Amino acid sequence: MSSDQDHLKQTDTEERFDFKKDSKAAFAAEKGLTEETIHAISEDKDEPEWMLERRLRALEQFQAMPMPTDWPGQPDLSEVDVDEIVPYIRPDVDVRAGVDDWTELPDEIKDTFDKLGIPEAEKNALSGVGAQYESEVVYQNMQERWEEKGVIFCNMDQAVQEHEEIVREHFMTTCVPPSDNKFAALHGAVWSGGSFVYVPEDVTVEMPVQAYFRMNSEGMGQFEHTLIVAEEGSEVHYIEGCSAPKYSAINLHSGGVEVFVGEDAHVQYSTVQNWSKNTYNLNTKRALVEKNGRMEWISGSMGSKATMLYPSSILKGRGASDNHITIAFAGEGQNIDTGAKVYHNAPNTKSTIESKSISKDGGRTNYRGLVHIADGAEGSSTAVECDALMFDNESTSDTMPYMEINESTVDVAHEATVGKIGDEDVFYLQSRGLDDDDAKQMIVSGFIEPITEELPIEYAVELNRLVELEMEGSLG
Amino acid sequence: MSTQLPASISEETVNEISAERDEPDWLRRTRLDALAALEELEMPSVIETPGRRWTNLEDLDYESIVDPLDQRDETERVSAEGAKVLDFETALEEHPELVEEHFGSVTDPQTNYLTALSTALFTTGTVIYVPEGVDAEDVKVRAEMNSTSLFSHTLVVAEDNASATILERISNGSAVDGDRYFSNLVEIVTGENAYVQYGSLQNLDEDVYDFTLKRGDANRYATIDWIEGNIGSRLTRSDIETELNGDSSETKIVGAFFGHDDQHFDINARVWHNGEHTTADLVTRGVLDDEARSVYEGVQDVGRDAWDTSSYQRENTLMLSDDSEADASPKLIIHNHDTEASHSATVGQVDAEDLFYMTSRSIPENTARNMLVEGFFVPVLEEVEVDELREDIDDLIVARLD
Repeated sequence: MSSDQDHLKQTDTEERFDFKKDSKAAFAAEKGLTEETIHAISEDKDEPEWMLERRLRALEQFQAMPMPTDWPGQPDLSEVDVDEIVPYIRPDVDVRAGVDDWTELPDEIKDTFDKLGIPEAEKNALSGVGAQYESEVVYQNMQERWEEKGVIFCNMDQAVQEHEEIVREHFMTTCVPPSDNKFAALHGAVWSGGSFVYVPEDVTVEMPVQAYFRMNSEGMGQFEHTLIVAEEGSEVHYIEGCSAPKYSAINLHSGGVEVFVGEDAHVQYSTVQNWSKNTYNLNTKRALVEKNGRMEWISGSMGSKATMLYPSSILKGRGASDNHITIAFAGEGQNIDTGAKVYHNAPNTKSTIESKSISKDGGRTNYRGLVHIADGAEGSSTAVECDALMFDNESTSDTMPYMEINESTVDVAHEATVGKIGDEDVFYLQSRGLDDDDAKQMIVSGFIEPITEELPIEYAVELNRLVELEMEGSLG
Repeated sequence: MSTQLPASISEETVNEISAERDEPDWLRRTRLDALAALEELEMPSVIETPGRRWTNLEDLDYESIVDPLDQRDETERVSAEGAKVLDFETALEEHPELVEEHFGSVTDPQTNYLTALSTALFTTGTVIYVPEGVDAEDVKVRAEMNSTSLFSHTLVVAEDNASATILERISNGSAVDGDRYFSNLVEIVTGENAYVQYGSLQNLDEDVYDFTLKRGDANRYATIDWIEGNIGSRLTRSDIETELNGDSSETKIVGAFFGHDDQHFDINARVWHNGEHTTADLVTRGVLDDEARSVYEGVQDVGRDAWDTSSYQRENTLMLSDDSEADASPKLIIHNHDTEASHSATVGQVDAEDLFYMTSRSIPENTARNMLVEGFFVPVLEEVEVDELREDIDDLIVARLD
């Protein structure tokens, strides 16, 4: 047994990420997707009429759109059958909108989050944690000092009730309309839960705002919506963690993230996702960035059977900028198709994309990117860098960047490299007394460091642990 | 698909072309099979992003630009000692078995609609045969197109330990009005340890639509180097491909293009690493002025058994005008981890600091800019072994800058 396995045993890490609960649902929608389901969800949430209308319209669009099938190298989605997926489950929690105090949570849910280390993060005086269990946010807390300044951080369902105007203006209108793609339309129809973050003008939220999502039931779909509105001159860092234990049935996660970055505002969106190996993770995430605004996407995509996710930024205002840092890990039977899209629609806009992937045991990673520089976006620049690390020749790693350049006074650079783990590096570490596994683990940790150093320490530790587990194959 | 069989082409047309040239029956049948396949075949795949197809080959009116029974060319062929450089008809007479064995062996005539059309209708072409151990330097094929449409087929066979440097150029001779179509399929067959550098220069009139597919099969220890300059034409679709099938084989694909007015270049460089210890280097540089447009796709495909692969790709585009557009998609497809691979692409304008430096040394701004553009092509020109090709590309670049 390698020292890694000892380490995992001692720290219970293995168990932490792979356990499931027998949960009792208070309300579960019927399998499948019909207008009745939509009415039922909307009614259960006591939603205003306009939201119901948007859901029904999205359902129509979903039904009208074909499944994506012809993209070169895309994951096979033929097993995704919406009729077999339960779109909505509300756990048995008395307080519909969530509880304010951790101790009020039912033991079973508390226990789940305990294992994932959420209370530790909370104890470490992070500014707030919203935790979503199945489709509902069950716990969220926000430090008072931000509340006094008008910062809103709450569950998305609650936001529809309490901040209706802001939500009505921004929810799936200009940023991610349901017509964007088939799964955005599905999301628009059945979305539930998620986070709402509103930061007023010139307010800086110095500590990260956090939410954690966990999918716990078999064969369910999770469709949380995250809406972040950062007004002019404001600043916020939102962190989201996601995980799901493994089950035999297919899970579908189809979230939606919309970020509005106002003039001179700065939003960082970080996520570490660890879905079970039977989850289809088909998300749409987009930011609209105004003049001199800055958007940063940091993401670690672990787990899932197949992921199709290309966070995108539309740089609308002069001087707007975007920064993407992503990492993907694909092990046996996994196809992680991810990347980044940036539209430079105004002059002097800048973007950088740094994408890293690791593939092992027949896993498949793909970087699929699009950088579009519109006519009139003079003085813009973009730099894309993709690095892929491969462990064996059963695995596949592809890089498919697209660059559409309509303007001459721009700087565009794309670079990609693929390599195996260096035999010499491994040998060097072994000669210093590390065993083969530890040496490889250390090299991989170094490879993903550009990502981990951008994350708060708890998430960096979690990401490292997840990679460690993947390397061991113990998440299987 | 989609695209209809042009009304001007029928089995009779193909039979007539074949009979006139007194061709063997296998070739006539290959042509007829290609013709029959047209109904089913697709256009060459073009890179697409949602909502956008980057080159619209199906929009061409093949009916009006294809006149199969009136194909005229003026082609000058310069051979080298020990090698055979023959027009297609002579090659069929003198080396019937060689042609039959290798024709269509590297590129399936039915790869796509345009390759099949070319196979069914070609009337000109060259066979270059370099026997074992022969070094053939400075082989030249200078072709002039003198009709509305012209279809050509080039076959290079380099046997074990043979080497060849070949220059092929295509331009227009006597003036013909209106839209025109030029098509050339090039196949390179190599023996063990053979070396072929195949340079081509396309300087067609700017109302010619141009389709070329060049493909080489590299045997053990063999090297196939491609050089390609694209200056003329209204629209060019060019595919250069090497299959590194033999262990320790190598390839280099070097491209240069310079577009102005509303020229459109769809340039594709592709390499398949199938053998072990293979090496590929893809280098393309292009300049775009006015409303010119380029679409570039580079693919490095490393197979499951391609151990110890090295594969590199660079693509750089210089934009001289805001109205031009450059699209690039360099792709890596990797199935074996024992690989070192990288690709990069850049798009930029003439460097303002370089320009400032030169103007501060009293060089007029326009001259300075032209010098920088000329300098931009140097890394590509340095790869060209045939002096005439290098000088011609350089002259055409300078002429375009004036």
